[in-house]
Amino acid sequence: MFLKRKQPKEAALNEFAQVVEGNSLGKDAWKRLKKNKMAVLGMIIVAIYSILAASAMFLPINPYDQIILDHQHLRPSFNKTAGDLMMETKLDDLYFKAWRAGSLVVTEAESQKIEEWISLNETNKVWNFLYTEGEAQRQAGTFTFSSADQRTIDRLQEKIDTEFLINVDKMFYTDPETGKSKNIARMNFLDIQRIYAEYLGVEESVISDQIQNEIRSQVLNTVKSATPDLTAEEYEANLELELQSLGEKGMASLGKTNLLVSLKTAISRSIERGLKQEIKDDKTQFPINREVTVNELLSADITADLKHERHYYLGTDYSGRDMLSRIIYGGQVSIAIGLVGTITSVLIGIVLGAIAGYAGGKIDFFLMRFVDIMYGLPYMLLVIIFMAIFGRNIMNLFVALAMVSWLTVARMVRGQIMSLKNSEYVEAARSMGASTGRIIFRHMVPNSLSVIIVYSTLRVPAFIMQESFLSFLGLGVQAPYASWGSLVGDAVNGMTLYPWKLVFPAIAMTIFLFAMNFFGDGLRDAFDPQSKNQL
Amino acid sequence: MTKYIVNRLLGMIPTLLIIITLSFFIVRIAPGGPFASERKLPEVVERNINAKYHLDEPLIQQYGRYMFDILRGDLGPSFKYKDYDVNYYIANSLPKSIVLGSYAMLLALVFGISAGIIAAIRQNTWLDYLSMGVAVIGISVPLFVIAPVLQLIFAMKLKWLPTSGWYTTGEGWKTVILPAVSLSFAYFANIARLTRSSMLETLRSDYIRTAKAKGMKNTTIIFKHAMKGAMLPIVSYLGPAFAGIITGSIVVEQIFRVPGLGKFFVQSSFNRDYTLIVGVVIVYSAILIVMNFVVDIIYAQLDPRITYK
Repeated sequence: MFLKRKQPKEAALNEFAQVVEGNSLGKDAWKRLKKNKMAVLGMIIVAIYSILAASAMFLPINPYDQIILDHQHLRPSFNKTAGDLMMETKLDDLYFKAWRAGSLVVTEAESQKIEEWISLNETNKVWNFLYTEGEAQRQAGTFTFSSADQRTIDRLQEKIDTEFLINVDKMFYTDPETGKSKNIARMNFLDIQRIYAEYLGVEESVISDQIQNEIRSQVLNTVKSATPDLTAEEYEANLELELQSLGEKGMASLGKTNLLVSLKTAISRSIERGLKQEIKDDKTQFPINREVTVNELLSADITADLKHERHYYLGTDYSGRDMLSRIIYGGQVSIAIGLVGTITSVLIGIVLGAIAGYAGGKIDFFLMRFVDIMYGLPYMLLVIIFMAIFGRNIMNLFVALAMVSWLTVARMVRGQIMSLKNSEYVEAARSMGASTGRIIFRHMVPNSLSVIIVYSTLRVPAFIMQESFLSFLGLGVQAPYASWGSLVGDAVNGMTLYPWKLVFPAIAMTIFLFAMNFFGDGLRDAFDPQSKNQL
Repeated sequence: MTKYIVNRLLGMIPTLLIIITLSFFIVRIAPGGPFASERKLPEVVERNINAKYHLDEPLIQQYGRYMFDILRGDLGPSFKYKDYDVNYYIANSLPKSIVLGSYAMLLALVFGISAGIIAAIRQNTWLDYLSMGVAVIGISVPLFVIAPVLQLIFAMKLKWLPTSGWYTTGEGWKTVILPAVSLSFAYFANIARLTRSSMLETLRSDYIRTAKAKGMKNTTIIFKHAMKGAMLPIVSYLGPAFAGIITGSIVVEQIFRVPGLGKFFVQSSFNRDYTLIVGVVIVYSAILIVMNFVVDIIYAQLDPRITYK
C-alpha cells in the first residue's frame, strides 16, 4: 500500500531555522497531566489497587471464603494471633461472670462506672476494664478463677495449641493394572464412586445409595428455602420435579462434587490421626506441606497449619473469614465490574452513537428517541427489578448495569461524529473509496477518542458505586464472593460492637474512589485545558 | 409558553406508558411466573388463584386490564400479602419518603448554593478550599458509607441523635436529621461545585462588569444580577438530583429504618412480590417525570434566551 510507505524523517524547520517537533495530542495531554500533582497521585493509587486486585491469588493472605466459626468477629490485631484473641474473648466473658458473681472484687466507684456503661450499652468498655483489672489481680495473686472456669481456660488453651487445619489439595489414584497415577478430580463419577467404595471397603451400591440420599436431601433443602410453607407431600412432589429436571448429567456432576467432598473428608480424617500422634510426640513443625500415602492405591497432596496461629490484621467477619482477604478480593470484584462494565457500555455506546451520527435520518431519529426515553426512566430501579427477578449473581449484575449505562456515550459519540462528518479528511477518505465502516471506525472514532477516554475514566467510579449500591442492598454480589458494597452492607448490623467490619472496607473503597475521581478530573483537564474549573 | 407546557405534558405520556409496559412484561416473562413456588398446589386451587389474579386470560387481555386498572389508580393486589393491596402499602409509606426526600433536597439546595457562592466570592481563600474540600468528599464517598459512619459517630458514639426510627418513635423531628443530612450530602457537593463554577463565570461576564462600573453595591450585584444567571446550571441539575435522591432514599431508609417506600421496595424485591415492585416503580417514575417537567418549566421561566417552539 503506497500510503504506508515510510518516508525518511526530516527535521522540520521554522522561519528562524529552529527544529520544530510535532506533538501528538496524547503526548501533550501527558505533559499537562504530569504537572497536576493530585491527578498523578490518583493515578498511582489506582495502579497500586489494580495490581493488588489482579495479583490477589498470589498474595500470601488467608483464603477469603474459608469459614472458621471459632474465629467469629475477632478484632484486628498486628501482633496477636487468632488464638490469643480467642483466649482474650473467653477471659472477657469469664471476668465479667466473676465480677457478677462477686469473686472479682473492684471498688464501689468502679462498680458504679461499670453499671453505667452497661446501661449505655458500652459493652466494649466494660470488657476492657474488667480484663485489665482481672489480669492485674491475677498477676498479683489476689484473684483466682474457680476450678470450673480454670478448666474451661485450660481446655481452650489446649485447643488453641493443638488444633490444625488440613487442606487436601489434590488426590491421586494409582491404577493397580497400569501402575499410572491419576488426579481423582479429573475422573468421572462412576470411577470415583468405585475408588471410594474400595477405600471404605464396602459394596459400590451402598455408596451409590448414600450419594442418592445426599443429593435428595440437598435438593430438598433448596426447595424448602425457596418455598418456606408447604406441606410434606407438596415438598415430596416438588423434589421429584427438581430431580427430574436435573437429568442424568446434572445428577452425575452433583454426585461427583459430593463424592469428592466425602473422599477428601475421609482422607483428611485418616491423616489427622497420624498428625495428632506426631504433635504429641513433638515430631512435626507447622506449616506442613507434603505428599501423603493413604494406602497402596491412594495418595494426596496436603497442606496443614495450626488453626489458631493465624494473624488477622483487619479482623474477621461474622463467620470467621479474614477481612483483609475479603477486602482485597472484594476490590477485585468491584474494580473488575467497574472496568469491564465501563468498557462494554462504552463499546455499545460507540457503535450505536456512530451509526446514529453517520447514518442520520430515520435511523438517527429512532435511536435518539429511544435514548431520550431511556433517559427518562429511573434506571436504577429497573436494574433492581432485573436483579430481583433474574437472580442475584455477578453476571446478571454486570449485564443489568452495562445495559443502561451506554446512553451518555452514545449521545456524545453521535455529536462528535456529526461534527466530523463533513470534515475534509472524511471527504478525502470517501473519495478514495473507503467503506462506511472503515471511515467510521478508522477515521472518525479515533478522532473523538480523547473525549471518550475522559468520559470513561469518570464512568468507572460511578459504575463501582452503582455495583456497590446494589451489593449493599443485598441484590448484587452474593456470599461467599465479596465486593466493597456487600462488605459495608454486612457490617451495618452490629457496627458499634464490630466497627472494623465497617471502617476498613469503607476506607479502602473511599480511597479508591477519591483517587479515581482525581485521576479522571486531571485527565479531563489535560485533554481539554479549557474545561478547567468546570464541574 | 402554554403550548410548550402542553407539549411537554403530552411528552410525559409515552415515557410513562413505556415504563408501565416494560415493568408489566418484565414481570410476566420472569422465569416461573409469580406463583412458581406454589406450582404443586391442587389443581382446583391453582385454577382458582389464576382466576382470582386473572392469570388464565391471554397476555394481551391481562395487559389491557392492567393498563385500565392503573388509569383508575388501582395498582392491583399484592401477591404476597393477601390482606391488602398495593395501593394500601404505597399510601402508607409514600408520605414518609416524600418528607425525607424534600428535607434532603432543601438541605442540599440551601447549603449547596450558599457554599458555592461563598467559595466563588472568596475564591482561593480558606473558605473556598474548605467548601470545595467538603464537596469532593461528598462526591467521592458513596451514600451507603456516609450514612452508617454518620450514624456511628452522631448516634452511637456521641448520642446526640436517635439511631433510627421515624416521628412515631417518640423522638420527633430529631429522627429526620441524620437520614436527611446523609441523603443530601452528595447533592450538596454537586450543587456547591456547580454554583461555584457558574458563579465564577457569571462574575466575569460583561453585564456584571457594567453593573460594577455603575458603582453598584457588591451584595446587590451578587444577589440581584449574578444569582439569576448563575442559577441555570443548578436548575438543570435538579432533574438528575431528584432521580438520585429517590434511589438514594432506598439505602437511607434501609440504614435508618425509616418505614418509607424505599424500604418496601427492597423488601418486595426480596419477597418477589411482583405487583408491589411494579407498583412502586410506577409511583417512583411518575414522581420523577413530574419533577423533570416542573424543572423544565422553571428553566424556561428563568432563561429568557430560550425560545420554545
